[in-house]
Amino acid sequence: MSHLRGFYLLVAAALLLPLIFPDNYYVTVVGVTAALHAILAVSLNLLMGYAGQISLGHAGFFGIGAYASAILTTRYGWNPWPAMLFGLVLTGVVAFTLGRPILRLKGHYLAMATLGLGIIINILLVQTGSLTGGPDGLGGIPTLSLFGWAVDSDLRWYTVIVSVLLAVVWLVLNIINSRSGRALRALHGSEVAAEMMGINTTTTKTGVFVLAALIASLAGSLFAHQQAFVSPDSFSFFFSIELVTMVVLGGMASTYGAIMGAIILTFLPELLVVFEDFEVLIFGAILMSMMIFLPQGLFVGMQKLWRRVATEESRRGAA
Amino acid sequence: MFDQILQFILTGITVGATYALVALGFAIIYNASDVVNFSQGEFVMLGAMSTIALSAGNGLPLWLAAACSVAMVICVGLMLQRFAIAPARGASVVTTIIITIGASIFLRGLALLLWGKDIFGMPHFSGEVPLRIGEATLLPQNLWVMGGASVLVLGVHYFFNHTTHGKAILACSCNRTAAHLVGINVGMMMLIAYGLSALLGSLAGILVAPITFTSYDAGVMLGLKGFSAAILGGMGNPMGAVAGGLLLGLIESLAAGLISSGYKDAIGFVILLLVLFFRPSGLFGKASAERV
Amino acid sequence: MALLEVHGLSKSFGGVTAIADLDFGVPEGQVYSVIGPNGAGKTTLFNMLCGIYSPDEGSIRFLDREIIGRLPHQVAELGVSRTFQNLQMFFNMSVLDNVKVGCHLRTRGRIWSNALRLPGTRREEKQAERWAREAILFCGLDDYLESHADALPYGVLKRLEIARALAASPRLLLMDEPAAGLNDTETKQMRSLIRQISGTGITVLLVEHNMGLVMDVSDRILVIDYGSRLAEGPPEAIQNDPRVIEAYLGGEIEYAV
Repeated sequence: MSHLRGFYLLVAAALLLPLIFPDNYYVTVVGVTAALHAILAVSLNLLMGYAGQISLGHAGFFGIGAYASAILTTRYGWNPWPAMLFGLVLTGVVAFTLGRPILRLKGHYLAMATLGLGIIINILLVQTGSLTGGPDGLGGIPTLSLFGWAVDSDLRWYTVIVSVLLAVVWLVLNIINSRSGRALRALHGSEVAAEMMGINTTTTKTGVFVLAALIASLAGSLFAHQQAFVSPDSFSFFFSIELVTMVVLGGMASTYGAIMGAIILTFLPELLVVFEDFEVLIFGAILMSMMIFLPQGLFVGMQKLWRRVATEESRRGAA
Repeated sequence: MFDQILQFILTGITVGATYALVALGFAIIYNASDVVNFSQGEFVMLGAMSTIALSAGNGLPLWLAAACSVAMVICVGLMLQRFAIAPARGASVVTTIIITIGASIFLRGLALLLWGKDIFGMPHFSGEVPLRIGEATLLPQNLWVMGGASVLVLGVHYFFNHTTHGKAILACSCNRTAAHLVGINVGMMMLIAYGLSALLGSLAGILVAPITFTSYDAGVMLGLKGFSAAILGGMGNPMGAVAGGLLLGLIESLAAGLISSGYKDAIGFVILLLVLFFRPSGLFGKASAERV
Repeated sequence: MALLEVHGLSKSFGGVTAIADLDFGVPEGQVYSVIGPNGAGKTTLFNMLCGIYSPDEGSIRFLDREIIGRLPHQVAELGVSRTFQNLQMFFNMSVLDNVKVGCHLRTRGRIWSNALRLPGTRREEKQAERWAREAILFCGLDDYLESHADALPYGVLKRLEIARALAASPRLLLMDEPAAGLNDTETKQMRSLIRQISGTGITVLLVEHNMGLVMDVSDRILVIDYGSRLAEGPPEAIQNDPRVIEAYLGGEIEYAV
């Protein structure tokens, strides 16, 4: 199927990397973080890039998933899998009840409401110390195990998280290129026209909000088990903005772009350790200049450049 | 109990006056250019930080340091308009939101680079001997904040209602093309609006810094609070934004005192969400019909 | 029994009357035009017919079912589709995908079935693609099949909107100024396209300023002024109606296309 061509490349790359560079820090450690970020960016892109609904509070749902897993497994001795499921259900309920009134808003108001939601969730994580461990966080989270196969090495975590990423990407690509995905994109193009084509814009918006939140929650649970430790800092307003930056950098309304943005922004601080003080400055500069000079993002920009080069070549070949 | 509440109210009005100035800055830019400037809080931080750097670091007298830093922040505001907002004209709301968020992160990064992560204090303008009102106390600096904010708010009110430039900016917000056609220099009006916002932000920062201290990331929460206040009062109405600021300051102070200080920010945002859900035009704004 | 029956319809905005006590009926299978000077309330009328505005008073019955109180997507479910005066294209999508959105109501696939690409979804996607291609071909847009909507000229977009509306296979098609902004050749193409649409049995309700086009394609015409009915009848009667000539056309009519 044509819409999955890029996906097979992605699968090949994900398989080959650890084979070519076994036990490489940048593959099995930074790479895992990048994959986790990519899951989040792909889900946010579904909401922001395709459906055109900005969210500045996506880290909140990531946090709900992470803390549901952390609290239930450490404090109540739950098995990680039902804990993860509980996190998903809780996220779904929160996203569904708040999604409807929030997504009635547009533009700046929507931005502010999602931002407020994210901050409220973060404050709750800090303040309910008896449950969450407060600002100091919560440690000792057990690792995952699947039919006796414990996920206890970097390579195994790579396998698990990259598999989840690939599964999420596959599902999202299928959605985008089908009836429900077209409804999402129509919402972005023109809400009035979408309504007139029989699309219930209210349920569609709530639906995509819930779906994006569920994916973020799943990523949160994985993050908690992989790190064995969670603290509210990982789910702050700043992380929500970082996720937005990933989506914008790679290119809105491009799933591969979101992955690319996540990879770049995860590796950039690693590679620029020397410039640690410049990190914040560079982040800001990227966000601003991308939106001003290349609002379609790097991935789409590169695609266009590539196409231009290709047509030049064929023209030269013909002449 | 009464004295305690009076104390919360006095604190609330001081904090609220700061929010009001930030909210006013938001409302001015929003009304002039339909952009929500997420870097408004950074103006506040830059005003305070650069004043401290100039006075403590370079030994300038406080008033001179303050004047220099206000001028500098105004330049930052003008540059923001000229190099970040103006090139993206006609872009979607999402685009402008991300640009101004980018600008705010950039300015924060700049402050981090220049001054590090330390928390800085500023000397009080006229001593720290508290005034007594019953059992409640009030620092002279609180009066500086309230007085300064009042003067600025009245000044802005006069500017928009009684001067040609002020009215011209409002005209740009109603209809840019029409404003251009009647001979208003739209580009210049945008610069004035951003400069004015930067002026308000930096002065707010300088006035409140002796009480709250400041650091490179102090602008984030202040910016968000200012934006909440502007929405609370109604974005379309600058004086509504001022009222929203005062109200938010009061609510937070009372919530912090009577409920829990840890939840004071959360309560502010919960109220923001409720206003957005039930009265998106703000408490003091006029409801606007949606056009199809 | 007409396909669309409007009775005693009124709507005002903040004291300004847009539509006042309007009655008319659109018989099935006809091309029915609504004309009137700018600001006569034509677009307001359209927005009420498809559920975007809700009227202050009156009733709108389509296939003997009340439209008032239904949301636009529910009106669309009854079999009403429309085009817009100011283009409402999905500029973030290709021509083919734009028209596929038109097939939304003719397909049922839910998000989970779409996400897993279940056999039902595969079948439906193929079907939607066939329907969309038919509509694209019908509107003469086959050259632009894979183009992105934001790269197309105005005249093509006007037809693309119609293709999208037709892909929904409507009983009633509302067309809001399909010829506005088109040049002579494009207007002629539009005229034959409207005839072709009518030829397939779809009832067309047309708002248009180009009198030549209106007189040429319409079976019946409703003239409104200040939101009220001024005259109604077949084109010849309207052309010769002194009230229309006096009040609306100011005594001078140009019938050139």
